[in-house]
Amino acid sequence: MNAAAWKRRAKVLLLGNGDKSGWLARLLIYLILLDISVIYLNPFFYMISTMFKNGVDLVDPTIRWIPRAAELENLRLAWEGLRYMTSLSHSLLIVSMGAIFQVAFCSLAGYAFARIAFPGKAILFGLLLFSFLIPPQTIIIPLYILFGKLGWLGTPLAIVGPAIFGHGIKGALFVIIFRQFFLTLPKELEEAAKIDGAGLFRVYWRVILPLATPALLVVFLFSFIWHWNDTTFSQLMLRGELTPLSISLNGLDQVLNGTYGQEKEVKLNETIRMAASFLVIFPPLIVYYIAQRWFVEGVERTGLVE
Amino acid sequence: MDNRLPEQEGMLQPERKKRAWAITMEGRTAIGGYLFLLPWLVGLVLFVLYPLFYSMYMSFHRVRFTGEGMVLERPGWDNYTYAFFSDNVFVAAILGTLKNSLFIIPIIVVFAFFVAILLNLKFPGRFFFRGIFFLPVIFGTGQVIMQIFGVASAGRLEMLDRYNVAIFITNNLPEVWAEPVLSVLNSFVLILWYSGVQILIFISGLQTIGISVYEAAKIDGATPWETFWKITLPAMTPFILLNLIYTIVDMFTLPLINPIMEMIVENMSKPQLGYGYASAQGWIYFIFMFALLLLVLLISRRWVYYAGKR
Repeated sequence: MNAAAWKRRAKVLLLGNGDKSGWLARLLIYLILLDISVIYLNPFFYMISTMFKNGVDLVDPTIRWIPRAAELENLRLAWEGLRYMTSLSHSLLIVSMGAIFQVAFCSLAGYAFARIAFPGKAILFGLLLFSFLIPPQTIIIPLYILFGKLGWLGTPLAIVGPAIFGHGIKGALFVIIFRQFFLTLPKELEEAAKIDGAGLFRVYWRVILPLATPALLVVFLFSFIWHWNDTTFSQLMLRGELTPLSISLNGLDQVLNGTYGQEKEVKLNETIRMAASFLVIFPPLIVYYIAQRWFVEGVERTGLVE
Repeated sequence: MDNRLPEQEGMLQPERKKRAWAITMEGRTAIGGYLFLLPWLVGLVLFVLYPLFYSMYMSFHRVRFTGEGMVLERPGWDNYTYAFFSDNVFVAAILGTLKNSLFIIPIIVVFAFFVAILLNLKFPGRFFFRGIFFLPVIFGTGQVIMQIFGVASAGRLEMLDRYNVAIFITNNLPEVWAEPVLSVLNSFVLILWYSGVQILIFISGLQTIGISVYEAAKIDGATPWETFWKITLPAMTPFILLNLIYTIVDMFTLPLINPIMEMIVENMSKPQLGYGYASAQGWIYFIFMFALLLLVLLISRRWVYYAGKR
């Protein structure tokens, strides 16, 4: 009598009944995800492990992940080689300005595209999409000349300037994200506020922005990270007068070789380079860790796309 | 007549007043819209359109620096003919990038789709895994990735070495394709790392499919397998297209896979080539990318499903 029932119960337990996934299915999901995570995080672990190795551990084939003793000298050298405090302050200056300006001005434009009727909107939206597609390679030279004429080269404005106008690094993408988000908000909110006599900007400032926190956060984080990681523009436009971390990581070899002479083997620098890489991504890592919860949920709520 | 005029006026007055009021209302909204857009519009002209046309203009000239400043001379197609017929690295680099991206783009999109479906399932700990898979977004673009993948080559799949995959591929594929396949395999983890944003887009796409559709399918007795092919996949086609476009645009700015940016910056400072030639390179590059995008868009019309239309 019970054989069939037991079989069914076992099947539900293992494979699930559609509503709830069973143990076997769940195990499979975890296995696959863990597996991919290991491949995914491998380079990251490599960086962490290498940065604590000393020269002997690095070339010792029996030591793969865990060095005999944590070598903190690497971190100290990397700290010096990056001129960490100076570079960090330059990075923070540029990145925070860029991210704040982009959030403020891309959201303005995004709101206009999403909710305000004005003639020529279709054409301008087409131009917005077009400006998303233009590779930076195509316009970097005229920008360099333009910034030179404006006297922006070598100042934070060379990176942040376009952000004040809602452009800059991936600016078009951010405007699109904001537009998509504002489109999902119910229209009744604004209409109610308008009937109460609020002007356009008041509606935007008092009604829309407080509701837009997830979108503001997502754009802020993306903008923060992409500004943080930018090298091509920083390299060309800052001319070494400002050295954000991404730039000083590039020059790490020169600084260290200058300090230690040429006789030092390149291979040995790897431990220091990994330590430096870690120091460079450490601040955004903290920011990500704090914001991750809202970020992961916020992305779902932004609807990012149509 | 004299009698009727005030009456007529009385009749017209509210009408005219109303219309005038309506126009100013719309007009005011439109002006407000332009005010909202004003910074962006100024930026569009200054930082997008003007540089775009200026670089096109420069690409048809030879740009020289003299004591008085920049001089544009010898208008013509010189830079373009040089790029295609004399520069023996540039066109090869573009074609190489295109060939690589033929492999990389589908890998990224399929991988992101797969991971997004897994991460969209309801199971304890999914937020933890989401955290892991978005992590590369943080260093996915920067100089750090050059250090980890470029210098230390930590991104190799170890099983490739263990099973001698490289030799197998060079023996069994024509040389034209063996090279891109190998370079793709060599940086496989790197490619996976570039799928962070795409996973995000797919997850937010998966959330747009209503639960009721799945419930209805279940009541009709559809298996999960059928549900995936008949409901999930068609509903996701717009997001697949979006991700294809995003990946193409993104792919063309990656320094590790794509050497063009370096070439352009390098050529800027070469006296005999200079800004003119570098601009031409930027434009040729843009045109190649645009052609690829157009191709994807054209093909997509056959398979992208838009709910509501049709």
